[in-house]
Amino acid sequence: MGFRLRYGNLLSHIRLRQRVISFNDLVRAETSGRRRYRLRKIDYYRLLAPYFGARTREQVLNVLPVVAALALFQVFLLRTPLDGAATIGLGIATIVLGLMFFLDGIKLGLMPLSENIGFGLPSRSATSVVLGVSFVLGVLATLAEPAIGALQAAGKLIVRAEAPLLHGLLNDYSIALVGAVAVGVGAAVVLANLRYLYNIRLKTLVILTLVPALAMTGYLAGDPLLAPVLGLAWDCGAITTGPVTVPLMLAIGIGLSCAAGREDNPLSGFGIVTLASLFPVIAVMTLGLIVAGNGAPVAATVKELSAPGWYDDPAVAAAIGAVRAVVPLILFLLFVQRFVLRAPLSDRTRVYYGLAAALVGMVMFNLGLAFGLSPLGSQAGEHLPSAFVVTSGVGEALYPYWIGLVLVLVFAFLVGFGATMAEPALSAMGVTVETLTDGAFPRRLLIRTVAFGVAAGMAVGVTKILFHVSIAALLLPAYGIALALTVFSKEEYVNLAWDSAGVTTGPVTVPLVLAFGLGLGEAVGAAEGFGVLAMASVGPIISVLAVGKWIDWMVERKITAEETEMA
Amino acid sequence: MSKDIIVLTDAVLLTCIVQRGAGEAVVDAALQAGAQGATSFFARGTGVRQRHLGVLGITISDEKEIVYVVVPSDQADYVFEKLYFTAKLDTPGMGIMYMTELEKLATYIPPEIAAKLEGS
Repeated sequence: MGFRLRYGNLLSHIRLRQRVISFNDLVRAETSGRRRYRLRKIDYYRLLAPYFGARTREQVLNVLPVVAALALFQVFLLRTPLDGAATIGLGIATIVLGLMFFLDGIKLGLMPLSENIGFGLPSRSATSVVLGVSFVLGVLATLAEPAIGALQAAGKLIVRAEAPLLHGLLNDYSIALVGAVAVGVGAAVVLANLRYLYNIRLKTLVILTLVPALAMTGYLAGDPLLAPVLGLAWDCGAITTGPVTVPLMLAIGIGLSCAAGREDNPLSGFGIVTLASLFPVIAVMTLGLIVAGNGAPVAATVKELSAPGWYDDPAVAAAIGAVRAVVPLILFLLFVQRFVLRAPLSDRTRVYYGLAAALVGMVMFNLGLAFGLSPLGSQAGEHLPSAFVVTSGVGEALYPYWIGLVLVLVFAFLVGFGATMAEPALSAMGVTVETLTDGAFPRRLLIRTVAFGVAAGMAVGVTKILFHVSIAALLLPAYGIALALTVFSKEEYVNLAWDSAGVTTGPVTVPLVLAFGLGLGEAVGAAEGFGVLAMASVGPIISVLAVGKWIDWMVERKITAEETEMA
Repeated sequence: MSKDIIVLTDAVLLTCIVQRGAGEAVVDAALQAGAQGATSFFARGTGVRQRHLGVLGITISDEKEIVYVVVPSDQADYVFEKLYFTAKLDTPGMGIMYMTELEKLATYIPPEIAAKLEGS
């Protein structure tokens, strides 16, 4: 028979040279010794490449479609080369990196802190303290919202003579304006938290908020001085609900609804976004009334221009703005953690890295906004009318009137559609909705419905600027329809529809659309170019509610048909 | 009526815990190296290397993927080695892998092969 060798033993001898160390010894040696590793270059590559690769790809996919659409439209259809294409390209790249750091910072730094507050605070403090903390958090989160910076940039494009009050609000009263928006969001957060605690229906809250908002809109529209503020006010609603506010508020809300003992309320996540976009509208309109009452802006006080210091440089200003936006939020979160919760942070390095990344990301985002997105949007807007009317820059219209007009509207529609389809928050929401409705509202249908609503809204908004339509004439009927549909719809569709309005307006779309609208408004000589965002927000509310009704009708018809068949 | 089942011996389980997203490569490598199958699932976890990397530790996700590979003991070391390099376990924080001997294993065995092997 001879000698028998086990094949496995042979293999292990020829293939592997395993050196053996006892795990006991390893742990003993490591706990006493130093803990820094000597990393090879390949180790750095292996650690960093997947991390940055995945995140950069995500943001590129988020930013690129809209930016590419705007740039291509301008170059090929308007036949105007991009001004300062290199700077804009650099700005866009900065935006991508900035968003990457910022969103990662939110996830690693801000989210854990606010989750701690959401879960820990209700059990340790009185309800009034919880509401107070969430109010302050709402205010500070709004100030940290990247798109808020776009508002101040937009102010410089307003002509004082044509809309003195609007000009005043955006320039002389810009701090009060941002403050009003932030306080609006803070109040909304308090109300939304009360909703979690007392289980109030969103429908009731929406009606209670929307009716006064519409009434104020109607009142302001009647006054020629106040009317231009309306577009701004309704746009502010869309600006506030961005990547900082929404997750932060949700983290607190979920903690609260757990504390209130209703853990498996499937709707608890929704609603807060809605209120956070309606309250600022009312706040800004109120501010408009107060400022107009003081009569300050009409007196056209020309401020003494001081010599531009180093802090007036746009790059430095962007950096300062970013620091001013994020630092208070960070300090407040750390303060609550330290002195109200009195709990030590778990995994400090991670949280501190997250906070630093959020700060760096915000600075980069602001820089990119100033040099990339805003110029791109306003350029495209300025050149757009040349497609069908004679403008100062171009000798004659590029296309016959009707073709040009249709082209412009189709373009606005496509940009809205594309930007919405790319929004990551929306697809996340789609999954939730599909589960909640047991598949009756498929994910794809939701995304397309919302995208269609945004797109149609944008086209209407552009029409408003082109033909100098009063924004109230569009907003009142649109929100009227939304209100009527809300009254007659099921609670879950109401939650869904109103929240989808806030989800769609992300940090890239908002500045781009804002700059685009203002550039367009300037080119056609409109008093102000606000209102596109407002229309893009109400669009999906109507479309989602309508599709919800349609689904109900289909389901009912199917059931009746089956019953008749049975009989 | 007595029913009998066939159990296999000489089986080894390789468990490889890597970051989420890296599991697919590990499964592919195992199959390539001759494993008959692999099972993977998601989990969360952290390790000591991840914490000691300092700021670089941020790049390592808490979300992990666990790959189970059952191989005959003859192939175990070979597959083990392949997985070690595929999962890049020579870099800190990339994961952990271990091998356990299995006492018994049962699955479908083609009857004619079973008859042949039991006879010998």
